Amino acid sequence: MRILTPIILTTIGFNFTVAESATPPTYERDIRPIFRAHCFDCHGATDELKGDLDLRLVRFIQKGGESGPAISLGAPNKSFLLERIRSSEMPPGEGTVSDAEIAIIEKWIATGAKTARPEPDSIGPGLGITEEERSFWSFQPLHKPEMPGHESFPEEARVRTPIDYFLLKAAMVNSANADSVSVANGQISFAEDASRRTLVIRAYFDLTGLPPSPNEIQTWLNDSKDDWYDRLLTELLASPHYGEHWGRHWLDVAGYADSEGYSTADSERPWAWKYRDWIIRSLNQDMPFDRFITEQLAGDELAGPINGDLTPQQIDMFSATGFLRMAADGTGSGANNPEGRNQVIADTLKIVGTSLLGMSLQCAQCHDHRYDPIPHTDYFAIRAVFEPALDWKAWKVPNARRISLYTAADKKKAAEIEQEARKIAAEKLVKQTGYMQQALDQELMKYEEPLRAKLRDAYETVKGERSDEQKQLLTKHPSVNISTGTLYQYLPKAAEELKKYDAKMAETRAKKPVEEFVRALIEPPNHAPETKLFHRGDHQQPKQTVTPASLSVASPTGQPIQFQLNNENFPTTGRRLAFAQWLASRDNPLFARVIVNRIWMHHFGQGLVSTPADFGKLGTKPSHPKVLDWLADEFISNGWSLKTLHRTILSSTAWRQSKAKPETRSAFPISLQRLEAETLRDRMLAASGQLDRTLFGRPTKIKEDDTGQVVVDGTQTRRSMYIQVRRSRPVAMLQSFDAPVMETNCESRPSSTVATQSLMLLNGQFILEQAAKLADRARNEAEPPDAEQIELVKHIRRPEIQEWQYGYGSYDEASNSTESFTPLTHWSGSRWQAGNKLPDTSFGYVSLHATGGHPDILGRDVIRRWTAPASGRVQIVGNLSHGSPNGDGVRGRIVSSRTGAAGEWVAFNGGSDTPVNGLDVEPGDTIDFVTDCRTTHTSDSFNWPVTIKLTAVGLKERVVDSKDAFHGPAASIDTIPGQIVRAWQLAFCRRPSVDEMQLAVNFVAAQVETLQRTPTGIPKGQTVTGQAVTSLCQTLLSANEFLYIE
Amino acid sequence: MTISRREFLNQNAMGIGSVALAWLLQTERAHAIPKNIPKPNQKFDLRPKQPDFEPSAKAMISLFQHGGPSHMDLTDPKPELTKFDGTDYKEDVAYSFANAASKKLLGTRWKFRKHGECGTELSELLPETGRIADDICLIRSMHTGANGHEVSIRYFHGGIPGVLGRPHLASWLLYGLGADTQDLPAYMVLTDPGGQPVDNINNWSSGFMPPLFQGTVLRPKEPRVLNLDAPAHLKGEPQAQNLKLLQTLNRRHAKRFPHEDDLEARIASYELAARMQTAAREALDISQETQATQNLYGLDQKETREYGTRCLIARRLVERGVRFVQLFLAGQPWDNHSNLGTTLPSICRRTDKPSAALVTDLKQRGMLDETIVHWGGEIGRLPVTQNQGSPEKHGRDHNGQGFSIWMAGGGFKPGMTYGTTDEFGHRAVENIVTPNDYQATLLHLFGLDVNELIFPYNGQVQNITDGRKSRVVEEILT
Repeated sequence: MRILTPIILTTIGFNFTVAESATPPTYERDIRPIFRAHCFDCHGATDELKGDLDLRLVRFIQKGGESGPAISLGAPNKSFLLERIRSSEMPPGEGTVSDAEIAIIEKWIATGAKTARPEPDSIGPGLGITEEERSFWSFQPLHKPEMPGHESFPEEARVRTPIDYFLLKAAMVNSANADSVSVANGQISFAEDASRRTLVIRAYFDLTGLPPSPNEIQTWLNDSKDDWYDRLLTELLASPHYGEHWGRHWLDVAGYADSEGYSTADSERPWAWKYRDWIIRSLNQDMPFDRFITEQLAGDELAGPINGDLTPQQIDMFSATGFLRMAADGTGSGANNPEGRNQVIADTLKIVGTSLLGMSLQCAQCHDHRYDPIPHTDYFAIRAVFEPALDWKAWKVPNARRISLYTAADKKKAAEIEQEARKIAAEKLVKQTGYMQQALDQELMKYEEPLRAKLRDAYETVKGERSDEQKQLLTKHPSVNISTGTLYQYLPKAAEELKKYDAKMAETRAKKPVEEFVRALIEPPNHAPETKLFHRGDHQQPKQTVTPASLSVASPTGQPIQFQLNNENFPTTGRRLAFAQWLASRDNPLFARVIVNRIWMHHFGQGLVSTPADFGKLGTKPSHPKVLDWLADEFISNGWSLKTLHRTILSSTAWRQSKAKPETRSAFPISLQRLEAETLRDRMLAASGQLDRTLFGRPTKIKEDDTGQVVVDGTQTRRSMYIQVRRSRPVAMLQSFDAPVMETNCESRPSSTVATQSLMLLNGQFILEQAAKLADRARNEAEPPDAEQIELVKHIRRPEIQEWQYGYGSYDEASNSTESFTPLTHWSGSRWQAGNKLPDTSFGYVSLHATGGHPDILGRDVIRRWTAPASGRVQIVGNLSHGSPNGDGVRGRIVSSRTGAAGEWVAFNGGSDTPVNGLDVEPGDTIDFVTDCRTTHTSDSFNWPVTIKLTAVGLKERVVDSKDAFHGPAASIDTIPGQIVRAWQLAFCRRPSVDEMQLAVNFVAAQVETLQRTPTGIPKGQTVTGQAVTSLCQTLLSANEFLYIE
Repeated sequence: MTISRREFLNQNAMGIGSVALAWLLQTERAHAIPKNIPKPNQKFDLRPKQPDFEPSAKAMISLFQHGGPSHMDLTDPKPELTKFDGTDYKEDVAYSFANAASKKLLGTRWKFRKHGECGTELSELLPETGRIADDICLIRSMHTGANGHEVSIRYFHGGIPGVLGRPHLASWLLYGLGADTQDLPAYMVLTDPGGQPVDNINNWSSGFMPPLFQGTVLRPKEPRVLNLDAPAHLKGEPQAQNLKLLQTLNRRHAKRFPHEDDLEARIASYELAARMQTAAREALDISQETQATQNLYGLDQKETREYGTRCLIARRLVERGVRFVQLFLAGQPWDNHSNLGTTLPSICRRTDKPSAALVTDLKQRGMLDETIVHWGGEIGRLPVTQNQGSPEKHGRDHNGQGFSIWMAGGGFKPGMTYGTTDEFGHRAVENIVTPNDYQATLLHLFGLDVNELIFPYNGQVQNITDGRKSRVVEEILT
């Protein structure tokens, strides 16, 4: 067998060892599982026995079928059954009985085909469930494990909670010379506690999925009280973002999507988000988990009768049932057929099974489960729970299931508004009729009598009653055939007039209250259809009726708990409510364990049972069953409070361990966790300061960018859980980092490491934008430099020339040069000016902005100065414009420091192109765009965007645009260390170390050097140092320290 | 199994957490039932892996012909059909379009003739394919049993008719064999500038496998690889400096966590990304090809330029170690429900020459031995008319009961035909080949056993056929 993953290895390992083990195999323990996997379909599970051979009891096997006895005791080589299996004739087709399994069968026959106990005298139909199957760990009733000797651990062992106690105990059992001495000696122990900073960051991400701000971290680091950690947990559990983060985890298992899937159309689900919002709210309220599940499974049954408007409680409960409407549903988009409908039911059951039962229930859809004791009938018993609401014979397509939130008042209001709109329509009609008449009269004037009268007659005769002659007349003179659609061609003004009515109607109708809906599953009253078992899962082969019941093997009595067919106390059947109650009852061995394991998985990166959706035979066993059971029991005892459960786990020493290089071998080593896709995106937005923390609401729209990749539409910066989930259009960045594409649901996410992720972090639009924003933020928030920092950056090559400068001064005609240039010193955020206020008390309106500016009196002309970075030839295009009819306009001059004025233009209440062809420049030459007021300086706002094309020998042509290049004050080199510190804090939640600071400074210095050499490396609107810091920020946002939580 | 347990462990150790590895080595000695083994997180990678047995193929190019090429007009001559043209067909027919259903037999309008030394008969619509008749293995007995497009496409790609969410054949190959190039994605898809094929992105889904095994779409226009190129302002030295700083920070970080493999993997993935920036651009630069080669693929003619370019890119990718390349057409141009007389020749003219050129070119370069070329759609067409009013508008409806595909290279027997349909070309009757057989045979040529290449999913063990019956069609292998 070709084996590629640990799961299978484990399975093989077991088989392998059984064959080698000392105790002889028994039918129940060793053989039946093999037959269940390969043989029972034809030999035992149903009444139809192939070859009349029944393999369910050893005596049946001995008796054999049409071909005689199937085994010969003690003689494997004379056993027909083995012969058929060895020759791969059986099972037909697949031939997958492994060599290890064959070896077990051999050994079993050789040792006399033992049974574990005497076989019953008679058995019922089907496979039933054996003692061995029932004794599987996950079906055992939940008992709180004892903790004898809780006190026996020394203080050094740091047993903070029972979790730590059980983990340590387990480590001792697994260790050869384990006693409490080895614990005391530190041979068995936990890794030391992580630093406070690490714990704060870890807790923030674990509970809210967002980083702490630098201030928040500092607050917790400064907290000197002993109970800081407890209060940290309290604060985070109370954060509204807790519900978002843990809601996202739940939406994975629920299979949340904003589209229907199934077909390529993948039509939108406009109201699924109401379910998502309900999840967030319920988790934030710490709704007891049993209630949380009950409302999702049976909210409609709990909601009570609808009398008039829905109550807020009813809306909530209906929203909760969205859980059962998450499966892909193609019945509203072309697949409203038996296959499509049954597929919705099957997917819904799969979601229920994997999320709530931890069982691959779906594997019993066509036959008895091959590995777990889930009979085919159990599958349909659970299907019967949902059948009244999801009845494939009385199906409702998605739109027919949604519930309107219109209140009676809304309806009344809407009706009134409609009334108003109709009034306008009536007015329009009167007007229109008049115009039609007018148009006809006008048109008929073109004809002489008697033709005119005849045409009028023909036109005015109702269409169906026109005589042949009339029809011919109208065909011959088509222009008489005026219709409301062509009226505009005859009376253009009239048409305009009529359009106003249309606009008014639309405007009126827009005032109607917006009709919202919830996506809900609502069972119709008095509807209890029969559920048939489908032979081979095929709806075209219905067999016996199956009644609603629990999973047999998860029911303590050994018999499934039958749910009432129709509970008289409810208008609905009450089946789902009964199912939910069974699920959350203490007797159910699966539910609490499954949920607790899931929570553990999210906190530690891996569940105690590492297959969170499969607690069956092919799943893995719990690594620490006592921890699992203790937590499950605790969860129930604490009233199913999730928040209490989080606190219990996060209070443990196990969770608080350091993940860095462990000096002691930990009793429970824990690993770094890579951020989930959504958290990664959210963290970038949080670092750059762009994150919009609004909760709830309609999903953020997506689009395909010009390279065809699906991205968030526009600059929407809400948390990623609000981005629309289209099954067929996964958002590239999220999908790349393993966000699920919801085929059905996602039980646990893989964590992949691939080059496409790296390319995205190197070149992706999103990270580039966020890096630039982070750099901006770091610059704005940088602390003023101290002497040490200034010393650090002394060696960085200062940008020698500022390419653009903004100032005021004057042009001197006599010398044909710029006479004076004084830089404007005040930056408003969008314009350069002389002082804080505009106008300035002494300099008036002197100012420059991205596209233009305003001069003051002569001598205080405004000057936009460009300095040539290289030698070459310059071409300039631009347009000087002045909008006001007042005053006398402005004059613009282009003045080269080398050759003087190259052109002069005047604009007054209009514009003028300002071309300059072929100016030679040397590095450091300036070209000034001088604008003066002519004679009066009133109303002298002007625009003068220019583009400079520099063609230099040996260099690529360089085009600079004065508007794009416009910038505020260039950051001084001295502030760079401060910016680095801030960027580090915002990205990594800490300051850089001395080494790192040096590394970063060196990087910035090298980038500045490179960028000065190749000005093409500076994007529009960016400065050299700005770009260098942006690159640094991008590096931080894509570093492993950013991607992984310690 | 041809490798020893220990060898297996050595080869795969990187993919398994150290706890499990230690345990495995332990059990091998002790044969004791282990105590609770914590199952490590599943980790997957594309490092090269040993096949089960000696493979004959290393790479595959699939020229997928969406829509259902009309085999009785192209690859499967039916004289009886021609003879009874216009008469009523006596057998039952499953129609997809009942409104245009007809029982009138429709003989082909095109002439067939023998090609090559093997004498395989092909229609005049495929003259270039005729030239490679001695290199291809034509299977005339394909059978999906279903008429729907998506149903049969998913059967071919994912192993079960109609079921979504399953890994593509190529995903299985990557999972089983890893990649031979670490500079390029090992599974690439070349889509049509005209738009997505029917069934859209499902055509290259890795289904329940991690996205690592998903097809990477080379876009039909620039940029062919997303995020491949650095934005203008970062190109060259600035980005090199960024990467250097990034890797320095990452190495310092990894030093604190020496037991975390994932950190190393991510450092390596940045290196791959950097290599891809050069490698992918080079691989896609067809200007490096000679004029003769370009003309061979029809790049000098308007009609064949686009498809020819993609066929040529496919060869260049395989040449550089890519495992699997699949070409798609926009929509489904072979779905000739109407105007068979014009729509069929038109799509033939677009694809015939480039498809044949690919085989010829691979052969010339000595690559055909190790490269499989697949040409075929998901279904074929019915022998009866699809009535569209006037005869010149007639077409043919879907037929999943019998149709043709061809295979070349990589261990397929050249110059042969295999299987037959009935005298009217309606149903495959002899040596029937299903998509599951097709998959089993392909995996076999890559040195993998269809039943033993398994993937755990949802607590079940999955293989590509989902345990459905399949066989390696030995008769068509060298």
